[in-house]
Amino acid sequence: MATPVSVLRLPKGPEPNGSRGFDPTSPRFIALCRTSISTLVASEEDAEQLQREQCARSALRESFLRCLLSMANKKVQFHMYEKVKVEATFGACDIDVLNFQVSDLHTPIGVQKEALIRCQDVISYTFHL
Amino acid sequence: MQSGWLLLGPLDWICYLNKQVKVKTGNDEEHRGWLLTVDPVSASVVLVNFGEVGGASVQVVMGHAVEEVEVLQEADEETAERLSAAFLPQQISFSPNELRRRKEMARRWLQKNHVPVDDNGEELKVAGVLTLMPPYMPEDCRSSNEIILDRIQKLLETNPEKLEDRPRHT
Repeated sequence: MATPVSVLRLPKGPEPNGSRGFDPTSPRFIALCRTSISTLVASEEDAEQLQREQCARSALRESFLRCLLSMANKKVQFHMYEKVKVEATFGACDIDVLNFQVSDLHTPIGVQKEALIRCQDVISYTFHL
Repeated sequence: MQSGWLLLGPLDWICYLNKQVKVKTGNDEEHRGWLLTVDPVSASVVLVNFGEVGGASVQVVMGHAVEEVEVLQEADEETAERLSAAFLPQQISFSPNELRRRKEMARRWLQKNHVPVDDNGEELKVAGVLTLMPPYMPEDCRSSNEIILDRIQKLLETNPEKLEDRPRHT
């Protein structure tokens, strides 16, 4: 099925920067705008632990960023909730891993030329190196 | 229904590296593979499965969907090496003469474009805030200033003297 469909504009949900009237303590805001997981270590006595945690954090993140880089312009299968499986060409991901920008998204109702996929809706995604 | 996975933190997640794991997601599905990394921002788990004829398939399970992660086995040396090389850009080695030549080419081009360049041994110190490391390709720039980084990278990309130096991907 390759019928292009016209662009669907859904209402914009809450965003981490600025509220636009959304209550930042509401479950929906927290679910959709979860920002980076903060460090677990707070006290000064654990300064050495904090340093180790930051080292681990940056190593893990660098690996993940390289993974995202290797996905660019490749076909990716997204496995989403409600047994939805779609395929698209991967473009980019935002810094908080909240949205994926994709092209040629094959959906049951046709092909979206450009789309944003909400990460909260995705269970897993697959691609080939 | 949030599992404890999201709350573990980098020091715990890093213990799962280079292990074959089984990840259970909320919809009673299982995903298996070699754990390459866990994104500290989203707790997403990156799994790799190697194909029989080289090549690999990568599956990323989003952090919010992870119910449980079970370790199946440790990677042997060969697998660990394959994993660490999975996403790294290809390395190419140049002779010392070739490196010198490339350094001069980069320096000439930057200076021609009125960008201050200082020699710093093997590295070039550019505009006081950026370091250009061997082999002096645009991706070898290091800087904490994003704007300068972007401008210098773009400038290096447009150097007309650039010869065929990108590795061919097969």
